[in-house]
Amino acid sequence: MKRLIDALAAAALLPSFLAPGFAAAKPIAFAHGTTVMGEYGAGTMEELQVFYAPRYFYSVGGGHLALDSDIDGRSRDITYARFNYLVKRWNREGSQANVFAWGGAGNANVSESSDDQFTWNAGFQLDYETRRLYASLKSDLYESSAFSHRIDTLQLGIAPYEHEYDGVATWLVVQGRRYTGEIFDGTETAILLRVFKGAVWVEAGATMDGKLQAMFMINF
Amino acid sequence: MFNSILVSGVLLLAATVAEANTIEMKVNGLVCAFCARGIEKTFHKNPAVADVVVSLEDKLVAVQMMEGTDISDQELRATLTDAGYDIKAIERTETPVTAIRERLKGSAK
Repeated sequence: MKRLIDALAAAALLPSFLAPGFAAAKPIAFAHGTTVMGEYGAGTMEELQVFYAPRYFYSVGGGHLALDSDIDGRSRDITYARFNYLVKRWNREGSQANVFAWGGAGNANVSESSDDQFTWNAGFQLDYETRRLYASLKSDLYESSAFSHRIDTLQLGIAPYEHEYDGVATWLVVQGRRYTGEIFDGTETAILLRVFKGAVWVEAGATMDGKLQAMFMINF
Repeated sequence: MFNSILVSGVLLLAATVAEANTIEMKVNGLVCAFCARGIEKTFHKNPAVADVVVSLEDKLVAVQMMEGTDISDQELRATLTDAGYDIKAIERTETPVTAIRERLKGSAK
């Protein structure tokens, strides 16, 4: 219980810590837009990504992903370049849905052998949102000769009120995440509070075992 | 005779100056303020645009143009597509964006 309280307290402090510098987690913002995203995933993963979109349907950029096994302590440090593509978008009067796909390649440092490996990456994201409901499913695969890890993330969100363009948006989000390749056993479930205003997006919360789960994104 | 023509001309000019040149667009997919930042950003890059207002509630994007300027429907659709959205309808009005902003505030209460 104390761990949960500590994690929630840290989560509550995180937005004020991040806001001065940084915050749909979508890999493509808008034409000529830049997206910066960072995530702290309960001590199991940390990721920082930067993408620029020359057109509304694709973006290019890169990122760094650190995976730390909750099972046996093995770790991977993956640095990659990536191409993101908007496969399909549905704009309706009160909703938007998207299908994104991406692929990339880079370098991974593997803790067991302490050497560097070529790694490639592929993934997709399906999302649907109205002003009150949000759902997304993301799957991200990292492969090298030394490992294969897939990270599947499902998020379901509900907004207690309909935000306006110049107002503060608040969402309550439940996240479920599964890893393959001996990173985490079972489903890592987290409850998150998501807040965004203007170009800054911040979400923070805790997993069921009291670990901090947080993310920020900015579009400019 | 000359005086009356002059007065009419001045009145016509004054009326033209007073009328705003606004484009109101009904937009599909407008559900997230964070994702819609690109609309404002793109329109503000256009030197012919004087003011922009976005309303998620009314699914509306309104752009006030500088006097004597316009944006073609084709360019408007391309701009909204680049921002991630689809235009459902375009209407040119004489309502200033400040008045639309006040109207939106009133309807939100």
